[in-house]
Amino acid sequence: MAVDMTMSILVVDDYKTMIRIIRNLLKQIGFENVDDASDGQEAFAKMQENKYGLVISDWNMEPMTGYELLQKVRGDEGMKATPFIMVTAESKTENVVAAKRAGVNNYIVKPFNAGTLKSKMSAVLGEF
Amino acid sequence: MPAANVAAQVRTSLAALKASDLQGAQIMEVMKLAHQLTDTMKLFFSSLDQSICQEFNYIADYISRTRNEIAALRPNDIKTQRIPTAGAELEAVVGDTERATETIMSAAEEVLCDDEEDFDAYRANVEARMMSIIEACSFQDLAGQRVSKVVNSLRHVEERVARFAEVMGVRDADEGQREETPQEKRDREQLLNGPALGGPETSQDDIDAMFAEMDSPPVSDLDQSTIDSLFD
Repeated sequence: MAVDMTMSILVVDDYKTMIRIIRNLLKQIGFENVDDASDGQEAFAKMQENKYGLVISDWNMEPMTGYELLQKVRGDEGMKATPFIMVTAESKTENVVAAKRAGVNNYIVKPFNAGTLKSKMSAVLGEF
Repeated sequence: MPAANVAAQVRTSLAALKASDLQGAQIMEVMKLAHQLTDTMKLFFSSLDQSICQEFNYIADYISRTRNEIAALRPNDIKTQRIPTAGAELEAVVGDTERATETIMSAAEEVLCDDEEDFDAYRANVEARMMSIIEACSFQDLAGQRVSKVVNSLRHVEERVARFAEVMGVRDADEGQREETPQEKRDREQLLNGPALGGPETSQDDIDAMFAEMDSPPVSDLDQSTIDSLFD
């Protein structure tokens, strides 16, 4: 099935610059419908209000981390199927394993480029 | 005569006095007893004074040495100058990098959105934006200098604390007995390890390999012939 290039993507990061970078990369890849949140709590509240085709989240945020957001999303009947990519500097093996076990669809370690983001999005959503 | 013997003699004399009439010539006995008592007390207090005096001298020396070492640490300089200055320098680094990032990203976004139809105008705009990007990169020099100052301050504190610990014979408290702070507990539970020095601890390729491995079917899903082939 073709990827809906107009789908809404939620970018979660506590650094405005990082959100801006991911927005620009997504725009370059072809996705312009991008929303953002500064931590897991705000993201979860937005996910209760809106439907997103993909969540791209940082791990280390206050007060709710990306890992906690992932657990909450996977535990919520209405949201649990939402594709979730972790984009983070947390690169220990235990982090990757924990995220995978919690149900993350893919994992990108910072710093990254548009090519990496596109290939991981393709792996999750299908080729586009 | 040892103090214990004198004390026993005093007790014996007191008992004898209690049993007799003091109005007679025995007043001399009372005087003798008082004298013995005084001698005993003098002996006792002099020995006591000497040991206490030694202890107090040792403590006074220790306090004096500690004061000198604390003074050598220059704690007021560290508290009012070095640490606040280091904090301010780091905040300035964050501010400098934010401003530089803003300039660089704005320039790049403007170039990406620029109208390419008028080639000369497009080229002039691209050149101007590239120059602003180059100029913005000068933050790296300032940031390097500021970070060097912070590193020097930390080194200064480290050297003085290490010397203090060495001179005073300070040993680290047992880590196992230290109570975990709420922040440390959260960091541990949420696996907040932060970025590793010198690049990611697990590379993107390794992460991809881990995902591929974890996505592969578990052994229980394999048929008997596949399992058998694993043991060949």
